[in-house]
Amino acid sequence: MKLKTLTMVVAATGLVITAGAQEKTQIKLVLPKPCFTGTPKDIKKHANFDPHPHDKERPAIEVPAGCDKLLSLNCKVTSSDPDPIIGDLSYITDGDKDHDAATYVELGPGVQWVQIDLGSEKEIHAACVWHYHGEGRVYRAVICQISSDPDFIDGVVTVFNNDFNNYAKFGVGKDKEYLESHFGRPFAVPAVKGRYVRFYSRGNTSNEMNHYTEIEVYGKGG
Amino acid sequence: MDTLSFNRRDFIKTTAAAATILPTFNILSQGSGILGPDDDQLNVGIIGYGAEGEILCNAAMKIPGIRFRAVCDILPLNAQKGRGQMRAMGHTDAKQYEDYREMLEKEDKNLDAVIVATPDWMHAEHANACMKAGKHVYCEKEMSNSLEKAKSMVLTQRETGKMLQIGHQRRSNPRYIHAFDEVIRKAKMLGRVTHAYAQWNRAVAPFLTLNPRAHLPADKLEAYGYENMEHLLNWRWFAKYGGGPMVDLGSHHIDLFFWVWDCVPISVTAIGGNDYYNREMNDNVMAQYEFKTKEGLINRAYYQVLTTTSNGGFYEKFMGENGSLTLAEITERGNTVERETREGVPAWDSFIKQGLVRALPKKPPAVDVSSKIVTDSRITPPPPGYPLPIELNKPAHMPHLENFFFAVRRNKPEALTCPADVAYESAVAVLAANVSVAKRETIYFKPEDFHV
Repeated sequence: MKLKTLTMVVAATGLVITAGAQEKTQIKLVLPKPCFTGTPKDIKKHANFDPHPHDKERPAIEVPAGCDKLLSLNCKVTSSDPDPIIGDLSYITDGDKDHDAATYVELGPGVQWVQIDLGSEKEIHAACVWHYHGEGRVYRAVICQISSDPDFIDGVVTVFNNDFNNYAKFGVGKDKEYLESHFGRPFAVPAVKGRYVRFYSRGNTSNEMNHYTEIEVYGKGG
Repeated sequence: MDTLSFNRRDFIKTTAAAATILPTFNILSQGSGILGPDDDQLNVGIIGYGAEGEILCNAAMKIPGIRFRAVCDILPLNAQKGRGQMRAMGHTDAKQYEDYREMLEKEDKNLDAVIVATPDWMHAEHANACMKAGKHVYCEKEMSNSLEKAKSMVLTQRETGKMLQIGHQRRSNPRYIHAFDEVIRKAKMLGRVTHAYAQWNRAVAPFLTLNPRAHLPADKLEAYGYENMEHLLNWRWFAKYGGGPMVDLGSHHIDLFFWVWDCVPISVTAIGGNDYYNREMNDNVMAQYEFKTKEGLINRAYYQVLTTTSNGGFYEKFMGENGSLTLAEITERGNTVERETREGVPAWDSFIKQGLVRALPKKPPAVDVSSKIVTDSRITPPPPGYPLPIELNKPAHMPHLENFFFAVRRNKPEALTCPADVAYESAVAVLAANVSVAKRETIYFKPEDFHV
């Protein structure tokens, strides 16, 4: 793949790089019900594991005023696995973040991606992903990229990458692995413009499959 | 790497490397279910693809030579998931069924063994039908929520000569085998183990729900014996289908009491109730068992299952005159042997040299010493914990499945770590705890209660 990637890794502090004394607002996530079931698994935590407790919400992400609009609701989703094991790709942007056996889409093993088409180029300031919050598990090689090229060849910006082993071949990421929970994994995006948002993963600590319950992309409205 | 093309000799190497095994104790030689280089493909079906079925199938698909040919579940979503996961992992000829009878009829010549992971009340019907159809069976615990049904499984196993392994997976876990066989029995590091304690505490949780798009229609639910979707999804909490947390979770731990002492209890006294959720089955149970050893000694075990607090989580303790063993299926929650610090307890240096336990961590855990605490000579200092040397670097259920498939491939029923008659013993004791709660009285066992 020809790749001109500008990597802009943002620490998961909720801070957004903005100039001047711009008026700020906070992304207000609507959280799903917590739903841990069954027996916890014996998870061997990598050294690059996020110490943030999984049962505590992360600090709210601050964005410039007017840049907190949910852009992804009901947007079209495509995937590297066009025939999911269960579920439908439309679940990823349908606004239903609750976990049960029929609210997530399951993709096959290996590195897989899903791609949200925002309809037109947007200025993106934050995103949040809920892979699977039915149990404590860690997804490998979680990467988020933004581009206006549907094939993600040109103008690709990486805004989150915790691929410590370079499974996805985009380079070793500096973000940390984390335990899934109903809080999801929100992260700030430094005002990146693009029409498409792509999320990668490579299985998880419970099985080889890849799951998505919901993805939300926030940015400038209009 | 293609799971199915994984070379079996490689598998043996990786299995040996996966478990940190000290030279003194060769787990591979203990018949605990490691496949050999000449083992052929085994064709497997699974009935029940809920959460437990998925865990078992995912673990089984990692075992070389296992090929799934069929998945059966009354809920289309589950069957579709099973079929899809099998396909994704290279088991491309697996077929999807709703009715297990159709599966057994159509796949009769394609199946060597069947995994049963359905709600407890259906275990006997499914396992017995499979054995009568000539299949070996791995069936999830508890054998049944009915002793009569559990008994029928033992009898069917004997009549058909097929193997029946019950899913008390700790029986095949190399950490547990090492702890029980080597540390407690052979080396007698703990001295006489007089008491055991186990608990499984879970946080408050609502009933499971399912998006209506995946619901079964009412006529299907009725045909399969479920009153509604809430019953199907939360069968563990209804007497018709399950035995509540005491049976669901307690069965694992009570089985360990049988294993560690190699004898049966003479009584159980339990209290508990449905005090929080207003559900059909008890949401909390505390049970005390008295075990009489073959030497005539009395040992006691205590068990607690709470579903309104996760305090302490789940673990097991085996307490002896010279030391105590703490275990849990998750290593971080229990993996140490603690030496009593009283006078007269032999030093454990030789046990460390033999590789039974690892040396004490260099920095012992900090002890909270407050100047306000008055020293009391009757209080012995906290004992140090020696870590066990075995690690399990594979899914928790995988060794038990390996043990089952090993026994099937080699036609060695004696190699099974949890055959039906062994599991029946703990089923008697577990189900009796619920009876004790209901009657508010001690239940006394006769030795013949544990035999079929």
